[in-house]
Amino acid sequence: MTLLSVEKLTKKYGTKTIINEISFAFGHHKCIALIGPNGAGKTTTLRMLAGLLKPTEGSIQFESVARNKDIRHLIGYLPQYPSFHSWMTGKEFLVYSGRLANLSKEEATNRADSLLTEVGISKDAQTERISRYSGGMKQRLGIAQAIIHKPKLLILDEPVASLDPLGRREVLVLMEKLKQEMTILFSTHILNDADEISDELLLLNNGEIIESGSLQELRRKYQTAVIELSVEDDLKLYHEQITSIPVVSQTNIERDILYITATDIKTARENILAMATRENWPITRFSVNQASLEDMFMRVVNN
Amino acid sequence: MQWSTLFQKELLENWRNKKWIWVPLVIILLSIMDPITNYYLPQIIESVGGMPDGTEITLPEFEPPEVVMMSLSQLSSLGVLIIVLLSMGSISGERKSGVSELVLVKPVSYSNYITSKWASLLLLVWISLFLGLLTSWYYTNILFGSLAFIDFLKVYFFYGLWLTFVVSLSILYNTLFKSAGLVAFFTILTIMVMSILTQIFKHIIEWSPNSLSDYILEMLTTDKMPTDLLATAGITIIISILVLLVSIQIFKTKELAN
Repeated sequence: MTLLSVEKLTKKYGTKTIINEISFAFGHHKCIALIGPNGAGKTTTLRMLAGLLKPTEGSIQFESVARNKDIRHLIGYLPQYPSFHSWMTGKEFLVYSGRLANLSKEEATNRADSLLTEVGISKDAQTERISRYSGGMKQRLGIAQAIIHKPKLLILDEPVASLDPLGRREVLVLMEKLKQEMTILFSTHILNDADEISDELLLLNNGEIIESGSLQELRRKYQTAVIELSVEDDLKLYHEQITSIPVVSQTNIERDILYITATDIKTARENILAMATRENWPITRFSVNQASLEDMFMRVVNN
Repeated sequence: MQWSTLFQKELLENWRNKKWIWVPLVIILLSIMDPITNYYLPQIIESVGGMPDGTEITLPEFEPPEVVMMSLSQLSSLGVLIIVLLSMGSISGERKSGVSELVLVKPVSYSNYITSKWASLLLLVWISLFLGLLTSWYYTNILFGSLAFIDFLKVYFFYGLWLTFVVSLSILYNTLFKSAGLVAFFTILTIMVMSILTQIFKHIIEWSPNSLSDYILEMLTTDKMPTDLLATAGITIIISILVLLVSIQIFKTKELAN
């Protein structure tokens, strides 16, 4: 079942095209990461989905909702830099948000209470003005206000970018939990976050989706492996021998590690290990690693 | 239900940022400033050194209607300015800070959003005006002579319409601009242009909202209800509502984020 399908979504400002005919769709209870470098159009895309910007062309179709009908009650949204009515207390703001989403006063209050506990805003802080909240607390309050009406789709714009490692971890854990109840679409440029919790990736660059699919699919497609080698004595002694292996395409010494990329990683590994055993190299480290997501990302973007 | 949530939020906000304290105080001050300084003018002149010997000045005796008009003239200049300052960030400020992004992503109806702001500003303005004119009426009765309470109520009602128009105008520009400064500038500019046009084309534009004060004076001096006043009041109400409707339409077509 598709929850949301987007077709040929386009956003232009004057002659400048920010988003160019992007199409994608996803189902229930998924976690989709929208990845792209700064200026790729991630925020613009999310704002269009949230109804804050009007698409120049294209359609956004929500499951079971007629075209051009208001879908805001099905969506929760947290902007990258949320700002609140800072004269309200955290709890007041949540109740207010809930009431705006047409919850009754009682429902809104109950929901606010349970959400404040869930996102980890302490009892003392609940009754404090938002102006005194730290960045992390604001972010958590932001998530709470976005899900107060139990939306089917939660849109988060860079939810962890501004947080310290601890806050980041907390938000990721929270998102993992929310995944059980709703579909989450979030943007990020930190690939490890995407790696950690998302089921699907959408890679956006210059306003176009250049790649999409599950992480495994993308890995398979763009996979390159790197052999890392360290020895007790000087690496340069072995460098030449390794480069002479036909399948080795690139070598690179950084500090005391030799990085080797090869067109055929299996043959390269066999060759190097055979050489090492034959000549008794004093190896301290030998490992075959998947190229990091960053490498993959760079490759996809540069292609 | 949603409307009352929005409306209550506005009232609470105006309470927390002390608008419910300073706006009535300023309006009261503006309303009684001229009547009182005029009454005590001889004493004031005396205490600052008096006039050279032999100078005889006769200060005019003011009739109660004239005193009321003094209050209104202060309100029409400084009072309007205060109201513009008060309302200039009402919507534009929320859009600029980005908090409207959080609010309007919720299924909030745009007309509820706008009209709740309009209504909350009007409540503040009408209550402040009531207190201001009531104080002015009180001092007029003590210092200058009696003015019937019903006359005070009439002045209050008709002049309130003028301020309602000012608030509506400010809401209109709030939906057009994101900068509170521009909102204030265009609101004041519009009022000034209207006032000039009303002056120049007096014979054609008989029922301009700007003429409300003139007809209020006519009502007080002739002790009759001028039909022009009623017509002008009607026109002012209609224009205010139209301006509000246009604001809602403009807001619907606006993009809520950059």
